[in-house]
Amino acid sequence: MNIALFLQNILNGLSIGAVYSIFALGYTLVFSILGIINFAHGAVFTLGAYCTYALAVGDFGLNGLLAGLSMPFRLPFPLALLGGSLIAGITGVLVERLAFRPLRAKGADALLALVSSLGVALIIVNLLQMLVGAEIYSFPSDIFGSLPMAMIVKVGGKVLAVRTVQIIILAVSMVLLVLLAWFMNRTRMGKALQATAENPETASLLGINVDRYIVSTFFISGVLGGLAGTLIGASFGLAGPYFGVSYGLKGLAVIVLGGLGSIPGAVLGGVVIGLGEAFLPPDYSSLKEAVAFIMLFFILLARPQGLLGRQTIQKV
Amino acid sequence: MPLLELDRVSVSYGPVQAVREVNLHVERGEVVTLIGANGAGKSTILRTISGLARIGGGALNFDGKDISRQRPDAILRLGLAHCPEGRQVLARQSVEDNLLLGAYVRKDLDGIDRDLESSYQMFPRLRERRLQPAGTLSGGEQQMLAIARALMSAPRMLLLDEPSLGLAPLVVEEIFSIIDALNARGMTILLVEQNARLALKHSHRGYVLESGQIAATGQARELLDDSRVLEAYLGA
Ligand SMILES: Nc1ncnc2c1ncn2[C@@H]1O[C@H](COP(=O)(O)OP(=O)(O)OP(=O)(O)O)[C@@H](O)[C@H]1O
Ligand SMILES: [Mg+2]
Repeated sequence: MNIALFLQNILNGLSIGAVYSIFALGYTLVFSILGIINFAHGAVFTLGAYCTYALAVGDFGLNGLLAGLSMPFRLPFPLALLGGSLIAGITGVLVERLAFRPLRAKGADALLALVSSLGVALIIVNLLQMLVGAEIYSFPSDIFGSLPMAMIVKVGGKVLAVRTVQIIILAVSMVLLVLLAWFMNRTRMGKALQATAENPETASLLGINVDRYIVSTFFISGVLGGLAGTLIGASFGLAGPYFGVSYGLKGLAVIVLGGLGSIPGAVLGGVVIGLGEAFLPPDYSSLKEAVAFIMLFFILLARPQGLLGRQTIQKV
Repeated sequence: MPLLELDRVSVSYGPVQAVREVNLHVERGEVVTLIGANGAGKSTILRTISGLARIGGGALNFDGKDISRQRPDAILRLGLAHCPEGRQVLARQSVEDNLLLGAYVRKDLDGIDRDLESSYQMFPRLRERRLQPAGTLSGGEQQMLAIARALMSAPRMLLLDEPSLGLAPLVVEEIFSIIDALNARGMTILLVEQNARLALKHSHRGYVLESGQIAATGQARELLDDSRVLEAYLGA
């Protein structure tokens, strides 16, 4: 393998892996506080991507109830990304209200929330399909304003394509990771959130309003999901309202591979799977969607708790 | 008016009634002990007072306010702290972070610093281990941390559920001398203890709970002299 191709694979792997990490962190945060997987996370991812598209591009395509309509305004991409992610965050809060809180209030088995979150996911996806149809949406080439779509760099006589969206992804994920680490480990709210994750009952005796932290967690999780959806959408287009489903499954592979409930695990798992996909030889490219699960299989054989998981999964 | 007052309080877990029409009160500045066999409902009463268990019937007042429908965090903010059974420390966080989370409801940074210092004076072993994860402490050290953490909220009243459980006799003495010292500074305490004789010696009054009902109550000294209580709970 020549050096340019190697660097190209590293760049592609790191940037797609960073998006997987951001997306998987959304699962992890909810899992670490409630001990269950939020199956609506993939739908929130999709919704965030469509909202950013609507805010930045302004049209709703040719099918669905909104066909032919257009937004009265258009936002520059960074603002649209922020807007789409915030809407996804609010949707995360709604998911908690609809699918999780009623069951929790009744003291129902946590597993039931798997089913109710799947139900909310279907509602979101079907509503999207009803509104904007099932066609493919792509961000136009001038989406980053005057920035080009890609830069060509020459390495040892060979070319390396650095896409603008990849630089944006890497920058956004760096900032996010630093923010998240600072928030979790250095702030009073972050410590209270960790306490709630470790033992909600003890947290409540310390004066922590557990319900409020659960809602905040769903909000942060939704923002991360919407952000990831938008970044994937900006990289590869929005392939219909169901395009979050395969990422939803891949995200599950990421968190299990990294170690359930572990924040560094979600980050590492995303990068490992991203790199694995990028280094897949072109002859095997039809296996790309399976790479995550093949890697998961072999890593779990060696380390059943995942790369950075604790020896046993504790939920107090 | 008592600081804490339970009026015919009942609590059920599903079809099982764990606490039946309990009347109990604690005056300001008192240490009151609740004794009873395993499963009598002692922890349930404390959990109901602090909002962890839902009250089934009756009235529950703290400082003249009805707290029967309040969340645990709101009850703590009123100045009623609960140190639960079984050393519920946050195992993954450091000793010092556990203590600081105990002060989560407070905003007075100077006061928090002062109280952190006095926690360390009360339990020097916690200072030595202040940066290590609380889960790596010994059982006795975790119990000290749980008590110190409950005090970090600067409460007016403390509910203590079996603070001496599993501790060496010397450490138990230490815990009871701390209870005395806290009370001397005006802290009101409701104590649940297996070690009934020792607990009553350090209390003003006591209640004996039997299958969820109050079977006897009185001055601690009277209970210590009561032959029925003696036989049933003091192992004499
Ligand atoms: N979460 C629960 N669900 C169902 N039943 C419960 C629950 N918690 C307690 N009980 C029952 O309620 C009764 C009282 O329990 P509680 O823990 O209050 O007793 P206790 O006096 O504190 O006992 P111990 O001395 O063993 O701590 C017991 O019969 C117990 O089995
Ligand atoms: Mg008990």
